[in-house]
Amino acid sequence: MCGITGIISSNISRDNQRDLILKMTSTLQHRGPDGWGIFTAPGCALGHTRLSIIDLSAGHQPMETGRNVISYNGEIYNYEEIREDLQKKGISFKTRSDTEVVLRAYEYYGGSCFSKFNGQFAILIWDRIKKELTIARDRYGVRPLYILKYNGGYYFSSEMKAFDAINGFKRTMDRSNILTHALAWNTLDDNTLFENIRSLPGGTYEIYSAEGTVKNTRYYELGESEQSAVIDYNTAREEFSAILNDAVKIRLKSDVEVGTYLSGGIDSSVITHLTSLHNNERFKTFSVGFTDSEFDESNYQNEMSAKLDSDHLMLAIDYNSIDKTYLEASYHFERPVFRTAPVPLFLLSEAVRSKNIKVVLTGEAADEILYGYDTYKELSMLQHWKTNPGTDAIQSMLGQLYPHLQYFADPKKLGFIKMYYEDFLGDFDNELAGLNIRIKNNAIMASMFNREWGVTFDREKLIDETRKILPANYSSWSLLQRNQFLEMKTLLSGYLLSSQGDRMSMAHGVEGRYPFLDHRLIEKVFYYKDSFKLSGFSHKHILRDTFRGDIPESIIDRPKKPYTAPDLKSFNRDGAWTESAAYFLTPDKIKEYGIFDPGFVQRFTRKFASGIPAEIGYRDNMVISFILSAQMIQYWIQNPKKQTLREEIKTVDISDY
Amino acid sequence: MSDNIKKLLLEFICRNFMVDEEEVPLDKSLVDAGIIDSIGLIEISNFMEKEFNIKIEEEDLTRDNFGSVEKMVSFIKRRIES
Repeated sequence: MCGITGIISSNISRDNQRDLILKMTSTLQHRGPDGWGIFTAPGCALGHTRLSIIDLSAGHQPMETGRNVISYNGEIYNYEEIREDLQKKGISFKTRSDTEVVLRAYEYYGGSCFSKFNGQFAILIWDRIKKELTIARDRYGVRPLYILKYNGGYYFSSEMKAFDAINGFKRTMDRSNILTHALAWNTLDDNTLFENIRSLPGGTYEIYSAEGTVKNTRYYELGESEQSAVIDYNTAREEFSAILNDAVKIRLKSDVEVGTYLSGGIDSSVITHLTSLHNNERFKTFSVGFTDSEFDESNYQNEMSAKLDSDHLMLAIDYNSIDKTYLEASYHFERPVFRTAPVPLFLLSEAVRSKNIKVVLTGEAADEILYGYDTYKELSMLQHWKTNPGTDAIQSMLGQLYPHLQYFADPKKLGFIKMYYEDFLGDFDNELAGLNIRIKNNAIMASMFNREWGVTFDREKLIDETRKILPANYSSWSLLQRNQFLEMKTLLSGYLLSSQGDRMSMAHGVEGRYPFLDHRLIEKVFYYKDSFKLSGFSHKHILRDTFRGDIPESIIDRPKKPYTAPDLKSFNRDGAWTESAAYFLTPDKIKEYGIFDPGFVQRFTRKFASGIPAEIGYRDNMVISFILSAQMIQYWIQNPKKQTLREEIKTVDISDY
Repeated sequence: MSDNIKKLLLEFICRNFMVDEEEVPLDKSLVDAGIIDSIGLIEISNFMEKEFNIKIEEEDLTRDNFGSVEKMVSFIKRRIES
């Protein structure tokens, strides 16, 4: 796992180009602390910071063949098979590294190589003869790749902070995208929150010519396999178990020790259980615990760790650690976030690295592909309600919907919840599926931005924007399948995998691997009957059913609890804002950065002037997390860190001049 | 009396949900307007019970009573007068 940078520009001098690629690459050293290298040529430069995991002695980057030069971040889990195939076709290899396999596969197959890869990757390949740069990203956008168009050239990087090294360029928040981000928890399509910066969509590659033309090709989309054969539940269970097992097995390939994260939920418990089947030695597991019992799940983590006798490390997090780390974490997550939950994972990856672990397996994406989220239940309930108006079942469904929230136990409060959901009956099954609910829950965000920005909620515009990313077969899917597609394009790729995933682990040079994101698994499971995944209100049904007996019953049958961390509580003690929060919430700072409406922020801070009430809503937690993180991101834009590369760990310096 | 109820209710909504008074529609659902979520409804009802010393029962939870600021005002008024 690594950091990659690139420049395509013909109007930049040789010296400036070298200086710039070095500066850009220097901002990504946290992603690759083990070494770095650059390549420069007329019109193109590439940079790389390396976290060495496979073929530790070779495999330095950028790596070249006679014709092509590659800078690559990621893992291809089936690289050995691809290597063997290529060898059979007469291709010879100089190293054992997966990087060389990527490069040779590209040379042999061209752009069609990407659909042969099973893995997570972002790739830059410069063709010295055609003078073209090919850039590609894995199917689900696990590894990041941003593109800045500036001053007649294109700039590429794993993280946007590298662009801050470009003279004269300053990241500017894009007013036209900020509300979409706030409502859907991600910008749609290839947009980012910043002007002139795109994110290469997962499952696509692009070719940039020296003349500045760009050709985009999609090589994968969710649900592309269109399986027509309907399989029965028992066959599905066997298939599911076999593929997931293999997905774990191939992700354990590494020349360094691999650990796992244990959240206390079923997803990471299953991944850890499967890891134990392929690991004869005792291995390390890691988790986050909270001093505030409302958030703590350490009893479940301990239970699973004890069952497997893993070498377990639990990092205890309190309000103070979140407050003190939010600024540094925001340097890495680079866009406003909605919860403080990334922060404990930032601290955890630091602890993981201190135990000399560079690779961890986690349970990410099970909630998306197996209908674990509440949105799936909400949609299912609304469908039932719509077809059975006047039914009494709704009351009990609502009660089951959020068993962990205390106010559902009170019949009167339940009445309000019912009234709230009733409002969705008219349109929950339009193109936005579960996004309808998230958007309405988040609608308050529209009123918090700088009034001069003219940010208003336009539902039709959002539906139109969403339509642009929908594949042709979208309308043939069930409502829950459609919801999965949108969850994966918004919450998963924009927040869970990037702000909370890649950026938090790579901040300390730790690579996350996600067996549930194996495309073989996803394509099969996507076409399983909805009821295999959500049976009544039994979420992730097939997963729980398959691994019952392997995982403690208490974990299998516990109500779903989303991973969250204290938000407001971390920044406000008995009515007093912490030093850092107070600094970023002052009217002066709000006005200086110009993102938010000072009146809104003032009303918000006043609301908590006498402390945090016992029953605090989701929105207020979201608002404080969002405002503070946006302010901090603006702080980093205005005060970028200056870094230098250490000459003694330079491994590659190729020049075509 | 209605004016006073409306004033107190609007003050609470503005304070608690961080909106300007001119942003609060009087004849539309506050949920539809994006001002409150389901917990917001509960917060408003807790405020009503405390501020106006009324009791809200399960059968009162209808959109006729809670579907807009005006509907809430007339509900409170009816309840005080009854």
